[in-house]
Order: sequence, then C-alpha cells, then structure tokens
Amino acid sequence: MSCLLRVTDLSKTYKLPGYWLNRKTFTALDPITFSVEANQTLAIVGEVGSGKSTLAKLLVGAEQPTTGTIELGNEILHDGDFSERCQKVRMIFQDSGTTLNPSLTIQQILDEPLKLNTQLNDIERIDLMRETLKKVGLLPEHLHFYPHMFSGGQKQRISLARAIILQPRVLILDEALAALDPSLRSQMLNLLLDLQQQMGLAFILISQNLGIVRHASDNLIVLKDGKVVEQGPTQQVFSNPKDKYTKILMMSQHLKLGHGI
Amino acid sequence: MNLFDIRNLSISLKSNDTDILAVDRVSLAMKEGEVRGLVGESGSGKSLLAQAIMGVLDPKWSVTADRFHWRGQDLMNLSPHERKAIIAKDVAMIFQEPMLSLDPTTTIGEQVEEAIDPASLEGNFWQRRKARKSEAIRLLHKVGIKHHEICTSSYPHELTEAICQRVMIAIALAKSPILLIADEPTAAMESRNQGQIFRLLASLNQLKSMSILLISHDLENVTHWTNTITVMYSGQFVEAGTTKQIFKSPLHPYTRALVDSSPAANIELPPKSRLKALPGSIPILQHLPIGCRLGPRCPKAQRKCVTAPKAKNYHGHVVSCHFNMKESGKV
Repeated sequence: MSCLLRVTDLSKTYKLPGYWLNRKTFTALDPITFSVEANQTLAIVGEVGSGKSTLAKLLVGAEQPTTGTIELGNEILHDGDFSERCQKVRMIFQDSGTTLNPSLTIQQILDEPLKLNTQLNDIERIDLMRETLKKVGLLPEHLHFYPHMFSGGQKQRISLARAIILQPRVLILDEALAALDPSLRSQMLNLLLDLQQQMGLAFILISQNLGIVRHASDNLIVLKDGKVVEQGPTQQVFSNPKDKYTKILMMSQHLKLGHGI
Repeated sequence: MNLFDIRNLSISLKSNDTDILAVDRVSLAMKEGEVRGLVGESGSGKSLLAQAIMGVLDPKWSVTADRFHWRGQDLMNLSPHERKAIIAKDVAMIFQEPMLSLDPTTTIGEQVEEAIDPASLEGNFWQRRKARKSEAIRLLHKVGIKHHEICTSSYPHELTEAICQRVMIAIALAKSPILLIADEPTAAMESRNQGQIFRLLASLNQLKSMSILLISHDLENVTHWTNTITVMYSGQFVEAGTTKQIFKSPLHPYTRALVDSSPAANIELPPKSRLKALPGSIPILQHLPIGCRLGPRCPKAQRKCVTAPKAKNYHGHVVSCHFNMKESGKV
C-alpha cells in the first residue's frame, strides 16, 4: 500500500529578536519524519509547547517549514501554493464555538470552501451541502440555521462537515474532541471512524487524552519540547513504552483505569 | 455523623410565564472526611447545586429543599445572614478557571493575606502585619509553592494555570474549612498538572480530614480520587454509590452508558471498534422532557418513564430509574 502523506525532515525554527551578531533562534520542532497511509490514523501526543500544534500548522500550510518536505500522494506540496493543499488537507479545531462565523448561516459557511475551490453551479453546491450534512448526522433543513442555534456537539459536526465537503484525503484533528462531553465525545469518535472507513481518510489526531488515542489510532508519535521521544505502532507503544516520558504521561492519566479500584 | 444532608433540593428560575426547574429534587449527603465526586455533563446543574450549598446564587434563582442540614443543624430555618455566617466559616470553594477567578489587579501575596481571618492574629498592628505575612507564606508552602518570594510579588497573569489553582486552594485553606467544594479544579489543565492538583487535594483530605466535594464532567477523571460518586443528568439525580459500585456495576442506563463510552475504561475493546454511545444530546433548559429527563435518549425507556422515578436504595447504592439493572435482574 502506497503511503498517502509523507513528511521528511520537517522542522521549524523561529527567529527571536536580536542584533546581527547574536541572533537567537527558537526551535519549535526538530526534524521529524513520518508517513501516513489512507484509512490510517496517526496520533500525536505531547504537552503544551511540545510542538504538536506547530506540526499541524506546517501540514496545512499556515506556517512555512524551515527545512523538509511534505509529499501528498507523489507530489511535493510547496509553500504558498494552496490550490491543491486546501482541498486535500483539512483541519478541525478544538473550540467549535469560535471557529464558526456567528453572522453567517450554515449554508453560507459551507458554501465558502465550495465557491473558492470548485466549479460547481448553485444547484450542485446545495445538493452537495445537503448530502454532507446528512453524512455527519444533521438534517438538510439545518442549512438555514445560525451557529448559535446548535449545541456544542452539533457545532463540532458542522466543523466536520466543512472539513469533509471538499472530499479531502487528510484530516487534521487538533484537540477536536477535547471540549466535548463524554457521551457526545464517543458519538463523535464513532462518526469519525465511520467516515474514515467510507471515505478512506487519513487522520492526524492531536490529543491529550490517551484513552482516545489508544482506541482510535494506528501509529503514535510522542513529542516533547519539539523532539520525537517515541514513535511506533500504538499497540506496541502502549503495551511496552520505551521512554520514561511516555511512561510518565501514561501514569498521569491512569491508563489502567478500572484495574486499580 | 453526616457532614451535610440535603433532601429534595430544587432550584428554579422564574421566567416570563413559567418556572424552569433547573435542578429537580436532588438529594446529596456527605460524611465527614469523605471525598465525593459529583459527576454530570454540561448543563446537568452540578455547579448550580454547589452554588446553592454555598449560598452564592443570584437572587433570580429560587432554592427550595425538604431538608438542608449542616452538621445536625437545620439551615432552612435560619435567616440568610446566620446561614452565611455558618457556611462561610466551614465551607470553601475553588472555581473552574483559576486565572479568571483571581483579581488581576492585585498581587498574589495581597490576595492570600486578604483571605486570612484577622481574628486569628494577635498583638499590635506591626506584629499582626508580620504574622499575617508569615501565615500567607505558610499557606503557599502548604500547597506546594516553594519559591514564595516570586509568587507573592506576581500578578495572576504572570503565573501558570496550575500555580494559580494552587493559590486558589491556599486561599480556600486560609480558614481551615471542613468542606472544600472543588468545581472542576482541573478543567483546561494538562494531565500532569491535573495529577499534581488531585494529589494535593487527596493529601489534604488524608492529613486534615477535610471533606471534598469534587465536581467534574468526566467520570474517567475522578474515579481515582473519590470514595463515593453521585451522578446527575440534566438537573435530576441519577445514581449514587461507592466508586466501585458506580464503576463496576452501574444500575442506571445513563451511568452504564458513561462507563461504556469511555475508551480508557474499556481496555479489552478492540481498537477502532464502535464505542457505545447514547443517541441525541443533552436537552436545553427551555425544552426539558417531562418525567425522567433521560427518556428520549434512554435505550430502556417505556411508557412509565413519563413520570419521574423515585430513588431506590439497594444497600447504599441509590438509583433513580424505573427499569434499573437490578429490577431487570442483570446484575
């Protein structure tokens, strides 16, 4: 099976203010190499400041990498060239309440990526929007609603609809499940896993909840201060963590919940 | 002896034409030295309940209860002023977002000193001032802040979330309370800091036999730190029992669903398989279903569920459901 997304030696350094003789730099992400196949989920675990959000920004093209290349399929994605990238790589954010424009209806929110990226006419666009809403478990009538009329779980579904409406290949979930209540979180997780099966999506799951990571991911990267601490198949890492930091993370979340009580 | 005992507490909001019952006849009792978890999803009224216990609710909410005892004393018969005096002496509360709850315009040192009871200090004004300073430093040390010099002279925005939460706990401890109500003390905090805060609370519970009411939206987070758990859903009482009872043999369909939906609790579940989840979402306050509020989402709902069920007690495991697992003989 050929890999869908291949990242080679990707790194990011920020320049800090300083004179030309003592220029300082800050390394947010040390060179990282990984690949993701279709239908697979790569989880990225780490604390605040570990560079996992930097990695997400680099992948969608919101930041320019210092070194390294990102290959999608067999094509290299260049900086600043969004015609291909924003159709194929989509992202969902943590707080769905603030990422939806409150002054637009759901129809307008979903219409925007279609107008910018496709040559579909009005009727085709509406049909596609209705179909996508059904796919994420909402009703076609919801097109005329405003974001404030939905609950938190439904808003997250709308962000998901906006992400999958362009038939992407890679979906980046930046803490997308963290702000949801437990019963809605498992609903959403089920929905994501179903969509992965149907559409052959590759997920990059950025999360702090190791329970979800263990359940939903195939491969795992543990980051600490921009460096890769551990990398490998999820089952293997969880059953036999090699690094001390991974063990600390697992212990702090009591991953053997239910055995201790 | 029970620390406090609440029976059928209801909190309602007067709207234009009808009363909205946000918390519907919830009972809660705690023993001394107990750590009780109060679990419910957002909008289940758990924060309202905590605020009603503290007596800090807005006057627009009306609170009624059949019984509200504090260490054997009936608080319902007292005037609000007397009630406040008792509660303020013995109960302390820490809030969800420590950075927003602290005063951004004063230094941490001043805020901690302000919380110290002036009656506990002796001597002339210069002696009292010195005693107050050293007491504030002692409190900060107690919650695990080593470098008090840096901390006392900084403002809340200069410190991290976890340190701010420790300061909040220090302020709450200033009056050495008997009961500490912790309203989601670790929300929006990293898992390692969460562990630190929970360990601190657990050690205070052990060393000072301080009772803790731990409020959380996630069952997973609290199971390790609590003796007993009360589960609420949409303002109604669901189930109460020891942590083991709730986790190993939940009787209510909702608790069952909460335990089943947690991926961390179901280690034996194959990866990427479907998790069990309740359909639908939590009802909003304007459109509450009648009877058992879980009704529309419940897999076991029948016609009987349009009347609210009475709580049944099975050897200390209290459940409020017509068709609980004990009735249907599954446990």
